[in-house]
Amino acid sequence: MNPLEAAFPNLAQAGYAITSPATPDYNCIAWAARDASAWWEPDPYGQYFWPAKVQRAYTLGSYEQAYVTLGYGRCPDGSLEAGFEKVAIFADTKGIPTHAARQLPSGKWTSKLGPNVDIEHGEVQGVEGPDYGSVAIFMRRPAP
Amino acid sequence: MSVVAPDRSSRQAFSGFGVSAESNQIEKLEQDIVFHYWAPVSRVSPVKRFAELSATWRSETALFSSALQMATHPAYQEIIGMGKEALPLILRELEVQPAHWFWALRSISGENPIAPAIRGKFSDMTKAWLDWGRQRGYLE
Repeated sequence: MNPLEAAFPNLAQAGYAITSPATPDYNCIAWAARDASAWWEPDPYGQYFWPAKVQRAYTLGSYEQAYVTLGYGRCPDGSLEAGFEKVAIFADTKGIPTHAARQLPSGKWTSKLGPNVDIEHGEVQGVEGPDYGSVAIFMRRPAP
Repeated sequence: MSVVAPDRSSRQAFSGFGVSAESNQIEKLEQDIVFHYWAPVSRVSPVKRFAELSATWRSETALFSSALQMATHPAYQEIIGMGKEALPLILRELEVQPAHWFWALRSISGENPIAPAIRGKFSDMTKAWLDWGRQRGYLE
């Protein structure tokens, strides 16, 4: 079985395409923030990038605040809204953030899969599963 | 002087003639003790152990989105548990096949050569740790 479809049980049904080669240079949190130059993570050692003034903690609140610094605010769902760009923050069953995806103007979503490839997926739930858990927060900002 | 593990098969070829089943069993136990003294699973070389753990870690964390998830993987934790013995192995791996070894390097060494300006910049972080390794004599 395709390793991506094995890891993400909803992916085949959501429809997807690989859109970049694998790279460890940036992660999903950065990619959702439109930054392909750094790995965003609030690690306790301070080795990875995290927005200044946002607490370095593996909590949904900290991740939400990271996107607030970019002009995002909470919204109720991931539906396509004209004039807005949305991100979805995923968390595991303990509430620890695991992933983020960004909505494209087409209504599809784009995700960077760890140090692996970028994909475009038809539904945000396409990457839910054992690795990333499920969507915990949707946020939006005026489309850039 | 090199040390060679005893040849188990040749010793077994002489056992079993004119001795009781109990004696054979005792001899077998003795052979096993001697054999496992020289070639126990727990004394696999650090290089081999690291290579196996690293391969497991790479394959099982290929889609993990955070260094935290990667660092808490059991194979990665076992590598951290190897302590300073793992530092040259990690640095060599980082040099040849870069991956997110930064957490382990920081955990084991207690040092952090990542300047605020290069936080999250993978290539710069890699270079900073390799330079650190050369300065400390862990890398040539």
